[in-house]
Amino acid sequence: MPEAVQDQALADAFAAYAETRMADASNIEVTQLARIHGGASRETFTVDIAFDGSNGRETKGLILRKDPPDSLIDTDRKVEFAAIRSMTGAGIPAPDALFLEPDQKHLGAPFFVMGRIEGGVPVNPFRIEEVEPHREAIGRQFFRHLGSIAKVDPATSPLADEIDTPSPDTCWKRELDYWENEIDTNARAPQPISKAAIRHLRRNPPPPAQRLSIVHGDYRSGNYLHDSAGSINAVLDWEMAHIGDPYEDLAWATDPLWSGSDKELAAGLLPWPEAIAIWQETSGCTFDPAAFEWWSIFASVKAMGIWISSARAFADGKNDDPILAWSGWFTHCAHELTLASRLAPKYGVEMPA
Amino acid sequence: MTDIGMILQKLGGTLVGEVVPKLEGDYAGGQAGMVGMMAIMAGEAWDGAADRLYREVEGMRALLAAGGVDIKTQPDSFKLFDLTALRNTLADELIELQTRLETSDDEAAKALNTQIWGFFLAGAAERMPNPPQFEEEAG
Repeated sequence: MPEAVQDQALADAFAAYAETRMADASNIEVTQLARIHGGASRETFTVDIAFDGSNGRETKGLILRKDPPDSLIDTDRKVEFAAIRSMTGAGIPAPDALFLEPDQKHLGAPFFVMGRIEGGVPVNPFRIEEVEPHREAIGRQFFRHLGSIAKVDPATSPLADEIDTPSPDTCWKRELDYWENEIDTNARAPQPISKAAIRHLRRNPPPPAQRLSIVHGDYRSGNYLHDSAGSINAVLDWEMAHIGDPYEDLAWATDPLWSGSDKELAAGLLPWPEAIAIWQETSGCTFDPAAFEWWSIFASVKAMGIWISSARAFADGKNDDPILAWSGWFTHCAHELTLASRLAPKYGVEMPA
Repeated sequence: MTDIGMILQKLGGTLVGEVVPKLEGDYAGGQAGMVGMMAIMAGEAWDGAADRLYREVEGMRALLAAGGVDIKTQPDSFKLFDLTALRNTLADELIELQTRLETSDDEAAKALNTQIWGFFLAGAAERMPNPPQFEEEAG
């Protein structure tokens, strides 16, 4: 069995910090602290605290997200914190955003703290069938939540205070420029498929965004929890949130890698017509095949940007987490194949039956 | 299977099958699982790595020659490092060639671009590792 408190120094420092932030709590003690595997963008810990509160000795479960030396995704924790707060009242099961601490003097790095959602089970994108017998129920909620995120007014959200808001006709270019730069900056070898895909996307821009929305940025299987009884009880990993075209999230969520390569079920969960109908109804957007096609190809380019950056961080020794090596190998190959499979027929290649 | 490929696969199997279960629930267990899984994948990829690179080099050389870019450089050796270096040189040339072809309405240019995409597709399919058998969460 792992130790209850795996890092006593971190636990003590966290308890001291929590004393300064929880006005109604005293004698705070960390009773459990363990790092969670898979949080490649930040070092993620599950923490139990006990404290003297208004009802006597109480306990609370928390999630601590601490900046690592180098992460899978280079993002600002303020954005993630603001994105979670932007979901307040929107019917999205996002965690409670509790504390944001930019000063590294407390824990050695900036961090933020969320309330822990108890009883949540993640879904491995390579084993989506494990949500059975609740696949349909989970699928309906998955696309309803996705549409609900798109429905939130970004202009009045806390997120708008942290990041720029593009115009509807420049969302696509801003995102493509960003990820092309990530690829060019971090690639350890020429990327002819990604570069050809980027040129294709620039020659064939999408229609302007139907509306500006909060884009989760990484909404997919693997980034939500369910209760094993047919309900999604948490949407996680908001670190890539921004304001943009809601098609970006729809295309990312239904990318083949996150769908168990299931072509019949959107996101590996629900028949496509039903999934799209739910998304339209909740988002208020009208499904446009041309927009979806562009953003689907873009999703693979964005993925390549993430995987290439991961491989660079691993190779340079900035972060030895093996998930970065995995990302730079398997998922890189998977998205190169997705890009080639999507684009080759457009340039006259006859696809094998 | 070469001995090295076999060794990598067995090391990975030991990690995944014997070490990881003893670390269940621990952060180190997740790390060990990922390392073991990739050791198995590396073992599978080992035997064909040089052959795949060599064929990529020859494929790109043929496409470049068809586009009027004749690069006769040979690799310094058949070490993966040297083959990779030559592959990267040719890939940069191929990006330039394809960018030029895309701006041409010439039918021959379109046909060569189709060949390049066919090469991309075949190469991407060949590089794709076998999907892993997950014992612990990953991805």
